[in-house]
Amino acid sequence: MADLLFELGVEELPALAVSGIRDQLRDLFLARLDQDQIAHGSIECVASNRRLMVHVPQIPEKTVSKEETVLGPAKRIALDDRGLPTVALKKFCEFQKVKLTDVVEIDTPKGKYLGISRAGGGKDVAALLAAAIPGILAGLTFSKTMLWNDSRQPFIRPVKNILVLFNNKLLDVEFAGVKSSNKVFGHLLLSDSYFEANSFKDYIQGLSKNFIILMEDERKSKILTEILDVEEELACQVKLDDDMLNYYLYGNEYPVVFSGTFDAKYLRLPAEIIATFMTHEKKLLPVVDRAGKLTNHFVGVANIPDENKKVSRGNEKVIQAAFEDAQFFWEIDRKEDFFALKQLLKNVVFQKELGTYFEKVERLASLVDLLVNETQHGSLRAKLQKAAFNCKNDLLTKMVREFPSLQGIMGGLYLQAAGEDETVWKAIYGHYRPRGLTDEKLADLGAGILSVADRMDNIAGFIGKGIKISSSKDPYGIRRDANAVIKIIMDLELDLDLAPLIRLAALNFAKNDADLEQNCKTIRELFAARLENYLKDYLKYRYDVVNAVMGQDTLLIRDKFLKAQAVAKLVDSGMIEPLAALHRRLKNICSDSERCNFSEGLLKEKEEKILSDVFKESKSRIDGLIMKKNFLQASSEILEMKPIIDRFFEKILVMDKNVPLRNNRIALLQHIDELLSAVADFSLLVEIKPGGKT
Amino acid sequence: MEQGREHLSVQNVILKLQEFWAERGCYIASGYDSEVGAGTMSPDTFFRVLGKKPWQVAYWQPARRPDDGRYGQNPNRVQKHNQFQVILKPVPVDGQLLFLDSLIYLGVDIRIHDIKFDDDNWASPSLGAWGVGWQVMCDGLEITQFTYFQQAGGIELNPNSLEITYGVERLAMFLDGKNNLYELDWGNKISYAHLKLEEERQFSIYNFELADIDMLRGLFVQYQKEAERLLDHNLFLPAYDYVLKCSHAFNILDARKAISVAERTALMGIMRNLAARIAQKYVLQAEGENHG
Repeated sequence: MADLLFELGVEELPALAVSGIRDQLRDLFLARLDQDQIAHGSIECVASNRRLMVHVPQIPEKTVSKEETVLGPAKRIALDDRGLPTVALKKFCEFQKVKLTDVVEIDTPKGKYLGISRAGGGKDVAALLAAAIPGILAGLTFSKTMLWNDSRQPFIRPVKNILVLFNNKLLDVEFAGVKSSNKVFGHLLLSDSYFEANSFKDYIQGLSKNFIILMEDERKSKILTEILDVEEELACQVKLDDDMLNYYLYGNEYPVVFSGTFDAKYLRLPAEIIATFMTHEKKLLPVVDRAGKLTNHFVGVANIPDENKKVSRGNEKVIQAAFEDAQFFWEIDRKEDFFALKQLLKNVVFQKELGTYFEKVERLASLVDLLVNETQHGSLRAKLQKAAFNCKNDLLTKMVREFPSLQGIMGGLYLQAAGEDETVWKAIYGHYRPRGLTDEKLADLGAGILSVADRMDNIAGFIGKGIKISSSKDPYGIRRDANAVIKIIMDLELDLDLAPLIRLAALNFAKNDADLEQNCKTIRELFAARLENYLKDYLKYRYDVVNAVMGQDTLLIRDKFLKAQAVAKLVDSGMIEPLAALHRRLKNICSDSERCNFSEGLLKEKEEKILSDVFKESKSRIDGLIMKKNFLQASSEILEMKPIIDRFFEKILVMDKNVPLRNNRIALLQHIDELLSAVADFSLLVEIKPGGKT
Repeated sequence: MEQGREHLSVQNVILKLQEFWAERGCYIASGYDSEVGAGTMSPDTFFRVLGKKPWQVAYWQPARRPDDGRYGQNPNRVQKHNQFQVILKPVPVDGQLLFLDSLIYLGVDIRIHDIKFDDDNWASPSLGAWGVGWQVMCDGLEITQFTYFQQAGGIELNPNSLEITYGVERLAMFLDGKNNLYELDWGNKISYAHLKLEEERQFSIYNFELADIDMLRGLFVQYQKEAERLLDHNLFLPAYDYVLKCSHAFNILDARKAISVAERTALMGIMRNLAARIAQKYVLQAEGENHG
């Protein structure tokens, strides 16, 4: 057994791209090892912004030897009527560089073939790897590539060195004009350029001597531990999200956490602005006190130890200057009449073919009108329409032009500062939320309604424009918009049927009636699919529970959730089996029959009369429960009728020869089926085991 | 200031960078004498990165960004700042180390400052130019833009050039430990404020409040026509001057918020097309020279 060490030294990769490139490299390496039939043990692949390393501690020197067959043409094609070789066979031999006499007959499931059999495998792994590596590197894909030398090899950043040690021997490899060598570069600032590595041990020791923490988990735990230290020291909390952690983890080979302070007078700026300037602009982390209030501390990660506090002092000056800028934007923007900006939106294109933002906000106001009606919040109409008309004005402010991630938020803050009504500014402030399903729970009704309008307008616009989405392609984030609508409805408990909203939104973009119908259908299907995904993959309801509630063609999002919740509870409480059995039995009879009319006068037998009476008495109560969305109680009340229904089935022959009698009985059962189906299609529950959630 | 490091004024920074790059084979040019938004727009960069001929140049270029004006109130931002521009063509193998050496030459102890190459791809849509690279951060302060040039005037570059653009004020502030650029010593105890504060105040008022929008729109069109006319006479160098004038007029209009998104696209397109035609003429001529 041998071992393989590969390192690609590069100039600084974009920090947030590193882990993706590492994964690609590992996948390509593994695929190539498999393709070359190189058996191998575990493979370790780690990366920083300046190096990508692959280590395979157990790798054979030669691939396994074995007999290999190469299939040629089918026998009936290879030989003519007289049994003589055809052109096809001759070409095959020529291509394989074998004589006709080497050809043998091979039995395959498809019939008899001619081909050759020869010794395969046993290849020199070092040679295979040396040949494979340039192709692996050329196979990496990046969102943007560059050229820098005569090799004209596109890559994400210039390649500095290639180290390939196979059994401690350097393999000859060339990529992007760089020849492999034993040189390994140390820390950009702290080490003397490079050291030589002749083994994996050399490599690891050399790196640690040269201030490189190679292992990602070591770097990560160093960062996290040092942040904890700061939190303890300052008795506060450092706001670290995944993006910033990845930025630090992959942007530093020797991460060191530092902290600093800024003049507390800047805390008078809105907290949202401070946080955005710190993280987006300066790559520093905000620090909050125990009550969650911003403090004048910040935390960052350097690539060197900061014993002299040079890094910390330097960053203090920089953050101070950034806040000066923030203050400038904040003041200069507020000199403008915010509402007057709306007219200027006539110059701002929303999307090609979808008009300007001015046209968009006009559409949003009409969608908001429908939404306040549908959700019984008519009293908010005037305020939310005002918010809708002005929700995109902040695109024209200096602050948002500089920091697009503050859109919406700034509009809200500017209006709040101008003394605008709370409902109006809060609606604008929050209308870009949520950014994803995992965002914290939404609380502002106005913002939610405005956001639903905005998202629906996006969806209808892009679908109207003919944008198709697939599992891998969703360039305009249509799915994200649909998810956001679902989350808003859920968080704010809106009883909203999406159908009329979809129609109104689609009407704005439809070319003709047929187009409108088609687009509405596409959007409804999109929402049905997103809702199903939300219930199954996000809320983790069992697939049959979800199927049971997805059946009906309505888009009452919250109802479907509440039904799923009720059905899952029934599954958990063990009550589902009798309900499912009942519903299946009803369906068996009802689904084969036309819709029948029911008449009490045609009831003949005692059991059917009892059932009819009980049903009549229960129905209005159960309908009431369904109206109140108490689906659990409704289901259990239906279940209470089961003994009577069972008795009916026992005693009564539904398929009576007398047609009016038969149809009357079917009609009675159809009514019960409808009542049950108003909650869910219980017949679809297949795995009657406890656990409504997966 | 690092222990034992000498005090460096703004002019010291410029002089030392000139010395450093002259010793490494650069021709020391003057900054261009027309308003430019960046050192890249000087003909010493825009033209010379095109074509095959090697080229090493370094120059100090005042750069105008009307929208960055702060009435002299911001410690870090001005509507006219100074760049020190270096073009190395073809790209040297050890560009990053050369750059770090220049910082050491200025007296920076690179072992105690957090110098980071933070990805930042540069593009100038109006010149049809773009590159891949980083902003170089020093203790959080952006001191340099470090770019591998990929295209200029819409033409793919071969060989590529390395462009190093130092922000002179930022660098001087860092080297002198100043929080506010107006406190900088330009040289021989003349303060930056003394030289520039009034200029910043007046130009900010002009750029944001008083610039005559109609006149500038009119000028843009006249400059454009002049550039087109000159191109018809194959005079691509003067034509390029008029593109630079278009660009400056555009920037002031932008600071005045007079340009809508749709118009922006259109005006950029005009400048980009002119720059592309100019670049093509330059390449034709340069190739003629090579063969002749």
